[in-house]
Amino acid sequence: MAKEVMHREASDNEYMHKDFHGALSSALIYLEERFGPESVREYLRGFATKYYAPLREEIAERGLEAIADRLRRVYEAEGADVCMKLSDDELIVTVEACPAITHMRANNYAVSPMWEETLRSVNEGICEGSAFEFELLDFDELTGASTGRFSRREDTASDEEGSE
Amino acid sequence: MISCTEFIPAYSELFRYLEEKGGREEVQRFWEYLSDNFLGNLRELVEEHGLRGCWMYWSHTLNEEAADFTMELDEDAGEFSITMHRCPSKGMLLELEQMEPYHDYCAHCDTLYRRVLEPLGFEYIFDDSGCDEARCRLVVRERERDD
Repeated sequence: MAKEVMHREASDNEYMHKDFHGALSSALIYLEERFGPESVREYLRGFATKYYAPLREEIAERGLEAIADRLRRVYEAEGADVCMKLSDDELIVTVEACPAITHMRANNYAVSPMWEETLRSVNEGICEGSAFEFELLDFDELTGASTGRFSRREDTASDEEGSE
Repeated sequence: MISCTEFIPAYSELFRYLEEKGGREEVQRFWEYLSDNFLGNLRELVEEHGLRGCWMYWSHTLNEEAADFTMELDEDAGEFSITMHRCPSKGMLLELEQMEPYHDYCAHCDTLYRRVLEPLGFEYIFDDSGCDEARCRLVVRERERDD
């Protein structure tokens, strides 16, 4: 049988490997089983504050528009429907189905019971030290459908009012 | 949400977090867990198709990861290899300004795949000497072809 050879350059393909969601889910399951649920939150918050540092700087300059722009890019790339209602002080994000959970369920990957922390803890980490906070209002474990709310912290709102 | 395009930095930070929790042994324990619990698709493909299962598995993953690679399958010689000219994962980590890659990031590729392939009768050779430049090479060889 002849030798087979495949050669590819990075530009030959789009970077979109959804099986990575399954690897992250396995990691969260491992962390929860070995170190408890708080370790999942601590790890995700720590990752978010570090990795999203450029986004956090952008939030300081552009406010919630910076978060909305990122989410629009992410969900579009992942092929998910997202609805966003944006004002100066609030951003409501509604997702019909989490694209990661959709992929994991379709490919028989175990879904971490703490998957919602990839929204809650990550967005809390992104907001840390900013004028905004995040609250996960609703999350469906089966589909990952969710509603989240970014809003201006009350203490920063009153500070700004007081300074006017 | 963490996009799958953001997974690699999350993965690298996980290794760092685990090492802070329990040392390098804890990172190794996690890699073994991931190999046992996440790589069932590679295991099944190689069990069913032999060396060609490696070709099938990495054809899927490396193309989706937009890797810069040369992959070779020589079933007559009983050998499969990947020459990674530019690893998309390590390459991405090296370019990040806001965080340092986990110091032993590339070692996960040694543990994860070795743990699947050696029990199935293959020799697994992983050369990570170029990993600081996002380059590596792996060879999978049928053991019975050794003699």
